[in-house]
Amino acid sequence: MTATLDPLFAPRSVAVYGASASDPAKLGNTLLANVAGGIADLRCIHPTASAIDGVPAQPSLTKAVDLALVSVPARGAEQAVRDAVGAGARVVVVLSSGFGEAGPDGLAAQERIAALVREHGARLVGPNCMGVVSHLGDDRWLNGSYFWAVPKTPGHVSFVSQSGAFGGMFLSEVRRRGLGFTRFVSLGNSPDVDVTQALGWLADDPETQVIGVFSEGLRDGRDFVDVARSITPHKPIVVLKGGRSTAGARAASGHTGSLAGTARAYEAGFTRAGVVPVATSDEFFDVLSAFAVPRLRRHGRRVAVITVSGGPGVLAADAAEAAGLELVPLSDQRQSAIRAFAPDFAATANPVDLTPQCPPGNFHGAISEVYTDESLDGVVVINCGLDIPEFGEAVAAAHTATGKPTTAFLLDTPRVQAAVSHAGIPCFGSPEAAVRGFAAGVKP
Amino acid sequence: MTNVPTVLSEWESKKLLGSALPTPREALTTSVEEAVALATSIGRPVVAKASSVAHKSDAGLVRIGLSPDELQQCWSQLAEAGDGTVLVAERLHGELELIIGGSRDTSFGPLITVGLGGVAAEVFDDVAVLLSPPEPGELDAALRRLRSAALLEGFRGTPAVDRTALTHIVGLVAQRLDQDPDVMEIDCNPVLVCEGRLVVLDALVVKR
Repeated sequence: MTATLDPLFAPRSVAVYGASASDPAKLGNTLLANVAGGIADLRCIHPTASAIDGVPAQPSLTKAVDLALVSVPARGAEQAVRDAVGAGARVVVVLSSGFGEAGPDGLAAQERIAALVREHGARLVGPNCMGVVSHLGDDRWLNGSYFWAVPKTPGHVSFVSQSGAFGGMFLSEVRRRGLGFTRFVSLGNSPDVDVTQALGWLADDPETQVIGVFSEGLRDGRDFVDVARSITPHKPIVVLKGGRSTAGARAASGHTGSLAGTARAYEAGFTRAGVVPVATSDEFFDVLSAFAVPRLRRHGRRVAVITVSGGPGVLAADAAEAAGLELVPLSDQRQSAIRAFAPDFAATANPVDLTPQCPPGNFHGAISEVYTDESLDGVVVINCGLDIPEFGEAVAAAHTATGKPTTAFLLDTPRVQAAVSHAGIPCFGSPEAAVRGFAAGVKP
Repeated sequence: MTNVPTVLSEWESKKLLGSALPTPREALTTSVEEAVALATSIGRPVVAKASSVAHKSDAGLVRIGLSPDELQQCWSQLAEAGDGTVLVAERLHGELELIIGGSRDTSFGPLITVGLGGVAAEVFDDVAVLLSPPEPGELDAALRRLRSAALLEGFRGTPAVDRTALTHIVGLVAQRLDQDPDVMEIDCNPVLVCEGRLVVLDALVVKR
């Protein structure tokens, strides 16, 4: 069953329904241009045009394609789907809205489309979704979505969303944080392919190492648990569940036509599935940023905070304790070794606050002393405004030498940030976020 | 098609959960003579409850700490307020009240709820929810996440809650949900903890 989504994420041929010959501002034209950017075997289905935006057009599909993308208004979508599956399309994505989310008539049309696709042994993604984006290898991408600005940095994070708009947030955060990703799919009303089935495919996808899920409600929670728990020992799954509050739940039923369950039932299911549940979008992207780094996926809870910035370092320490991390006090021996490099008034117990007065040439020795301590599983680095390259180089060198998982909060320190990022250490937007990024991968 | 849920009486609810359910020494009495005889044989103050009345405690239909004479005086009133019978039980004291419940979620199916019970259930809302039946280790892990985890471990000299007994009651609730698709909700509340032992003081089953 999982193999049946290959044509969705790795299509060799694509047909697009719904580009306009006269109005290039239509969403269908954006879709067509996006697909044309990465797929050579592409045709556009249009009743009269012979070509649209340079892509050959024909009135109906005459040969099978892996993937058909449908962006025609709801009333015409059924005909387009019939044409596509009739010619042998293996996966159909209906991006158009006006179906199950729009009332009984829309729901009936949605059910007819789903039945049609099923009859032909094909699969349906959507309707009412933003489409699919997938890395095809090298610099080739499938952008089968309405998003015209997709950050094409290959990575190992995949994302499954019911909501299209939250999918837009994902792509935007991927760009802002410099993350890579490999698969993106927005599922919309999902009468056929749902979150669980998408997970089933991603489970076997060698490019996918981390999965983020945004869901407003799972139709079959037990099915999700069964599939997710078979994946989480190998690939972390981060889940942001919308519709926890009563008000949120009302919006959810009106939105994707799905029922929002009770928050505690979801917690129970997520616990058994071994997924990482998060409560806010900030948390979601922080945890994904951390998991994008293999070393931050499964490690111990004993952490040191290394800082030159007293207050923010203390906030990180507080957050670490609240997150269940252990701020192990360093041994007297270790502390005196650190003190040999740092000013008398530096704090050495943990947090280790080397202070801005620490001679730049001494950062290497001091930071290396912390990293090599065997009582520690990892490090959170905090630096507000002390842009001394030696600090960043010392962190990078110690991290590389010991392999200890590390997260950082660096503020207004471009030279430190360059060295730390280059070593593969993710940087976060606050001391608390850096701690959260570290804590997400702690072994239960 | 409207399905009106059926609320079973306390007595029926406990019977449905099975004879392995730990309850106080108690019986459903159908006459005042029978009730007084039971109270006398218990030899200690008893509790008398009207039967088949929702929110019987709020309605003032639970009388606590009665002697056989006092029971004789109020028996008819309680019987008339309910279904004509009165549940008479030994009065027990304990250090803690828990809730052990079962329900069904449209997406996740049968669920188990365990946590602080009695009045505290509403005030503190300190419960853990698990998929039913719980797998090995899940119940203990959920109990450790309760805010009142320390109370269950034994606090200031009180013995720890008997985990085997707790697991046993959870098992009975899970089994009922599993075997009877018409059972929509189960409440064992309060489950009294006396010297670590568990006794289900009240129970309620809702069927569809």
